[in-house]
Amino acid sequence: MLNWLESLPLSVWVHESPSVWAQPTVLTLHTMGMAVLVGATWVLDLRILGISRNVPLSAFRWTFGAVAVGLIVNLITGVLLFMGRATTWGTAFPFLIKMILVVASAATLLPIRSYVLHGDPDQRDVSSRVRLLAIASILTWAGAITTGRLLAYLVP
Amino acid sequence: MPSITSVNVTHLHLLLNHVPTVGAVAALGLLIVAFIRRDESLKLAGLEVLFAVALITLPVYMSGVAAFQKLRDQPGISDTAMRLHQDVALYGFTWMEFAGFIGWVALWQARRRGRAATALVATATALTMLALLVMARAANLGGDIHHPEIGGALATAIDPSEFLASKISYVMVNSTWAWPASETVHFLGLSLSFGVLLAVNLRILGAMKQVSFGDLHRLLPWGMLGFVANLITGMLFFVGQPKQYLDSAPFYWKVVFLMIAGANYLYLTVFRKSWSEAFDPGTADKAMALASMFAWLAVLYCGRMLPFIGHSF
Repeated sequence: MLNWLESLPLSVWVHESPSVWAQPTVLTLHTMGMAVLVGATWVLDLRILGISRNVPLSAFRWTFGAVAVGLIVNLITGVLLFMGRATTWGTAFPFLIKMILVVASAATLLPIRSYVLHGDPDQRDVSSRVRLLAIASILTWAGAITTGRLLAYLVP
Repeated sequence: MPSITSVNVTHLHLLLNHVPTVGAVAALGLLIVAFIRRDESLKLAGLEVLFAVALITLPVYMSGVAAFQKLRDQPGISDTAMRLHQDVALYGFTWMEFAGFIGWVALWQARRRGRAATALVATATALTMLALLVMARAANLGGDIHHPEIGGALATAIDPSEFLASKISYVMVNSTWAWPASETVHFLGLSLSFGVLLAVNLRILGAMKQVSFGDLHRLLPWGMLGFVANLITGMLFFVGQPKQYLDSAPFYWKVVFLMIAGANYLYLTVFRKSWSEAFDPGTADKAMALASMFAWLAVLYCGRMLPFIGHSF
């Protein structure tokens, strides 16, 4: 199955083509998606933890739009990158950890999202449950970036 | 089209190399006069000059390393003299960035509270003085490279491994963890500063209209935290393997866009506009916000493309 995935023409193109539009561009888009996705999430998390506490939580609803854009870009580019390296990454422990962290990070965003979207528009105080979720979100995204970056060294 | 790497870096360095010393003298002069006259707006002017000088010191240092790479094999130019100059310049650069950072914190605080803490401005002034002294020493040693007749007795034999740059390079290249760990911090830092700038610039571009600019300005130090992490790790890469960056066109563009992005950061920090919720940004503000986002995306693009368009990793 992984062999089949890796042998698809698209996978071979992404991984082996000398064109800048192949791996270089896909990887760069993945990095830009990361900056938008994690950057917007961290700004929201900082606000939840009390930075810029004068700003009502509802003012940060735009972050979920940015997160959605980043997630979609990184889902697509991530799948493309995986296809090119399916047999190696599919059985690599660091990649498994990265995926667990990405899913966990995205999962922390869901309750935060419903809290921010359905709260009072003028609300400034945040419940301690959501504060904990924000801390978890900061840490799991940091972990996902760390394992993702180290993948290049641990699974060459 | 000629490549950006064909820029004559030696000439560029000779052109730029006066900025840190002359600029630091200017900043220091403004700050000292401001202290004597107790003039708060003059203090801010001094701090702004300091920030700009700290920013330009980056390409000054890098063009110097580039000049060294070009000239090192030429007969008649002392390798030791160049390395000594480069190493003192690295110390000078570090002090200058430290001074610029404290100066930035003072500017940020001044915009929030009307004035910066005197102790903070005094610290920035003292650090600028120290940076100037070290830079002046570096400049002096730089002059010795081409004018050995006025340089006096140069230490002819210095073990190259004694230099700070060599020690950093040794660790970065030989340690299993130094490079990957720095890369990881670099990516964490870029996400943090990008997110903060996204929020602040989106406000200027029309999102979050019910929020006052002042409340978002509160986030800027977090962006600066990411930027500092990336300046440190970025310099570790550069000092670790200068040649692979200096041969690489996207690296030059990255530094160009970093200068634009840095100037923008100063603009956002001192932003002398209304902080009320009614603040309605003008066209110039919006152009600055767009330029900021574009410059950061370009920095990201050039950085990530380094191994592919250029040939560094």
